[in-house]
Amino acid sequence: MIPSDHFVRFYNELFKFLETLPPEEMQAYYRSISEHQEMHTLALFKEKGLKGMYEYWDHIRFEENCELELELHEDRLVKRMKKCPSLSKVLDNDASPCYSYCNHCPGWVIPVLEKAGYVAQYDIIDHGKPCCRSVIYPASSGKKSSITASEEGKAQK
Amino acid sequence: MLRYQENNELHRDFHGNTDSAIRYFAGRYGEEKIKEILRRTGHDVYKSIREKLAKNDPSELLEHLVWFYHREGAEFDLKVTANEIRFEVFECPAHKHLRRLGLPVEPINCLQTSEVNAGMCEGTGWTSAVEHIGDDHCVQIFRKEK
Repeated sequence: MIPSDHFVRFYNELFKFLETLPPEEMQAYYRSISEHQEMHTLALFKEKGLKGMYEYWDHIRFEENCELELELHEDRLVKRMKKCPSLSKVLDNDASPCYSYCNHCPGWVIPVLEKAGYVAQYDIIDHGKPCCRSVIYPASSGKKSSITASEEGKAQK
Repeated sequence: MLRYQENNELHRDFHGNTDSAIRYFAGRYGEEKIKEILRRTGHDVYKSIREKLAKNDPSELLEHLVWFYHREGAEFDLKVTANEIRFEVFECPAHKHLRRLGLPVEPINCLQTSEVNAGMCEGTGWTSAVEHIGDDHCVQIFRKEK
């Protein structure tokens, strides 16, 4: 048995394999994760909107030991991940980390949100650091989903 | 001493993620490919266990088995002799959680045990095997080669 504590280190190995294939294969796996996650999230997101999303990530931050700040506004939900437990474990690992590891998060979240009538703007900040921020808006806001890494490649001071 | 110290809240739903990943990769890329990835996980992630086994020191392997199965609430029996370790798990915690989630439990799920263990033993002078006694009941065996 892979201990549930160590799942993300196995996940990292899966992504490393997918990185050797054409990019469509990674996208196909994200879709598969997203379809799996829909079972736990889509009804809640459709029914309760931003409040339901707040409830979901509030539960996740406890269960997955995240240092995550959530800010619920009338028109948006802001998530600030101060210390992602998933990437932290992948970095605390005798196996090498997969560069694009962080991308699986928006990779599964954005399709579920879009099915529920929302969009998300993700800033991964830096693929090598376990922190990120994202803002979720109703699709009616006219905003588009996006993924950036705003600090990547910037020289260290 | 364990390389990975884990004491936080346990997120058992990751057993569902492991199961769906094994099925997905076996279905899309073949069973041999997911076996290879699981063996690499055993070999690379558990490097410290493997390196100790190569020096004929199974201490971290024993600690790993006992701590993580205890942490997941399993009943088990451990027998250690000079050349063999037998770790009997009466009800696999991963299978138990899949059933709790209402998910089917199929034999392919057990590759995570057999292949990760094989990866930990690779090149160490130890071999691994799994004896299946029931659907959720097995014995993990580690033997020192003569």
